Amino acid sequence: MSVISLFKGPMRQHINGHKDLSDHGDIKAVKAGKEVKIPLYATHSANFDVLVKEGDHVCVGTKLAQCNDRMIVPIYSSVSGTVKGTAKIMHAALKPVEHIVIENDDQYETTKAFAPLDYLEADKAELVEFVKNAGIVGCGGACFPTYIKYASDAKIDTLIINAVECEPYITSDYKMLNEYLDDMLYGIQAMRKMAGNPEVLIAIKETKKEMIAVLEKAVEGDRDHVSVAKVPDVYPMGWEKTLVQQLLKKTYNKLPSEVGAIVNNASTAITLGQALKEGTPLVEKIVTVSGDAVKHPCNVRVRIGTPVHEIMEAIGGYTCEDVKLISGGPMMGKTIVNDQFVIDRAVNALTVLENKPLSSVACLRCGSCSDHCPSGLQPVRIAQALNANDPVTMERLSVLDCVECGLCSYVCPSRLDVTENMRKAKRLMMLKAKK
Amino acid sequence: MKFNFNVSPNLRQKQSTRRIMAELTAALLVVYAFSLYFYYTRYDLDRAMQAVKLMVVSLAVALATESIWALVTKQKVKTFLMNSFGFVTAIILTLMCPLNITPFALGIATFFAIFFGKLLFGGFGQNIFNPAAFGRAIVFAAFAKASTDVITGATPTTLMATSYNWLPANNAAFTQLLDSIGGLGNMATGWYAGAIGETSAILLLIVGVVLAVRKVIDWRVPLIFISTVFVLGAVVGIAAGMSADLWIQYAAFHVLSGGVMFGAVFMLSDPVTSPTSAPGRCIFALGCAFITMLIRLKGNLPEGVLYSILLMNMLTPMIEKALDGKQNQIMKKAVTIFAVLALFAVGTSYVLGATGEKAEPAGHTAGIAQEVQR
Repeated sequence: MSVISLFKGPMRQHINGHKDLSDHGDIKAVKAGKEVKIPLYATHSANFDVLVKEGDHVCVGTKLAQCNDRMIVPIYSSVSGTVKGTAKIMHAALKPVEHIVIENDDQYETTKAFAPLDYLEADKAELVEFVKNAGIVGCGGACFPTYIKYASDAKIDTLIINAVECEPYITSDYKMLNEYLDDMLYGIQAMRKMAGNPEVLIAIKETKKEMIAVLEKAVEGDRDHVSVAKVPDVYPMGWEKTLVQQLLKKTYNKLPSEVGAIVNNASTAITLGQALKEGTPLVEKIVTVSGDAVKHPCNVRVRIGTPVHEIMEAIGGYTCEDVKLISGGPMMGKTIVNDQFVIDRAVNALTVLENKPLSSVACLRCGSCSDHCPSGLQPVRIAQALNANDPVTMERLSVLDCVECGLCSYVCPSRLDVTENMRKAKRLMMLKAKK
Repeated sequence: MKFNFNVSPNLRQKQSTRRIMAELTAALLVVYAFSLYFYYTRYDLDRAMQAVKLMVVSLAVALATESIWALVTKQKVKTFLMNSFGFVTAIILTLMCPLNITPFALGIATFFAIFFGKLLFGGFGQNIFNPAAFGRAIVFAAFAKASTDVITGATPTTLMATSYNWLPANNAAFTQLLDSIGGLGNMATGWYAGAIGETSAILLLIVGVVLAVRKVIDWRVPLIFISTVFVLGAVVGIAAGMSADLWIQYAAFHVLSGGVMFGAVFMLSDPVTSPTSAPGRCIFALGCAFITMLIRLKGNLPEGVLYSILLMNMLTPMIEKALDGKQNQIMKKAVTIFAVLALFAVGTSYVLGATGEKAEPAGHTAGIAQEVQR
């Protein structure tokens, strides 16, 4: 897919990543405060069976709750202390979510959440079961239960480890790769076994030269099975479909397994590696705190359930009073209107930007949104159909294939909220479908 | 602390519509400056001042029309003017007119362009027709006689159209035409009197490349339009039995004359009135080139670019609708439409070249042309 094509737009765009703000400094450890709130969150359901009650003593690794609704997602405690009850507060995904409140005794008394597992000894079924029980979810942001990807019997030829990190400002994956390279390689081997020993590609931006050298060296002993795949520094290179298209030159409809691929985030592989080796669930995250309204942008190491305001206080706070606080990166992350929400398993960044309102003008029909849409959609036409309240045209324009990557708004010279129009159109379509 | 809500994404690229329009205006003014220089050095200060006068009239009418509209519709005048970009229409319209047009006619045309061509459709972004082309068509239709004699004599385009019927009778006749206008080189530099801003093909090409690189205009549109005009010109030339070196010059004449270069850079590329999808814009440009050739060879008008744009503007909604869907799914359809249209255009051009009524000027017309253009 060349960038210059007569009948097709580029379907991608280079964006200044501002990665230098946070990629060179040390990781700062931010201690959990008196209280942590563990979100009972899964992408598909809010239906959790709570396994502890008020007053219970819990350890790091105690199972607090489990979602049994269609997909299994267990939730573990990240600190030791006393359960104080539950609270429904705003979650990083911009939804009110039930949280388990734990009074932190600062002892970090640990219990074995599950037994470690040697992937060499285990078979596929045992490994998938392990991934399910360990509560491994996609750490790239989607929070999708990982075991589902490996549970099917589809023939997998390629396992893609996604270390692209295409969202601007975020460097936490990069930092984690530096820190936990061995855990990642271990996790990758286990994933490889679960997927039926496919070829492994570790996808990373060609601009991250130092890291590529490190990775090349690390996979040297296993050249036949694992290789480093350099990809261009464009957005949204880290999206499954764009990545699969780039590396395998294949397009799929719904899931990468249709073309024999599984895509997992590098940090998910790290989490799995650590769980297998040590029998610990994900209790700690490395989170990038960056943006032009952060006084000292950096990466922090925090316990899951730590409120954002504690992190901001610990690293020096904001540069101005009027900000947009985003859970995630500036492209797909959601603005949250308070700093009381907590770090969850799939939160890898906090981006804080100065609030500079935009002045928009009328759409000039330049078609830049259509040229850049990585799904190949035509946002300008969809906006017109939305305006005309015309679901038939929206259907023909495949609006439901939009992944809300935000690129259409990013490129819009008229500064319109193009992506928001796509969301509205999708909501309208879903409503019609329900009726 | 104030934590604001905003729908994602929270990051925007630098290029804005205002910047696009500002760069477009700058490009137009470069072309205009060349014209002023030409009229001043080739003729005199009065001719240059006439060009200034026309521009001022057109800009004044455009701004006045938009201001009154803003007042009547109860909008802030300054914001409205800044977001409506009427001045761009006025500049393009002026550059499309010959120096001989009366300021009165240009003023009326500007009013029609802005009011009927744009504001009545709902303003910037909503208009169906290219407003400048709309205004220019008004001049053609209503003010054919409203011309002064600031400049006398025919332009290469009108000469080709009126004396040669766009199809010189034989090699000798075409060579005679080229000689009388100072050769293709003179047409490329634009050192002759024509429409104020349309003459210098080289300058327009440079400006077009800069605008395309800076992503102010889509490179596809001028590229396809200009190359199609060249190819169709070549087909006509070959079909008419021109010798090898002459049909190339004949095709080049089509590209260099009239509004082809100016239209390619400043008018076809108008995003508001052309399709939004990349393949749609390709088909749009191809259609414009074909209609331009049809009008030149078979129409009553001397020049076809203007009406080709207006006609394709009307087809824009249809092209849009035909290409609704996902990029990879509509690809095949787009290629098919493009290929069929291209084949049809080539075939028609061949027939026109082979069967067209060839013309040779009566001796005295060529004589006058020679006199004027030297």
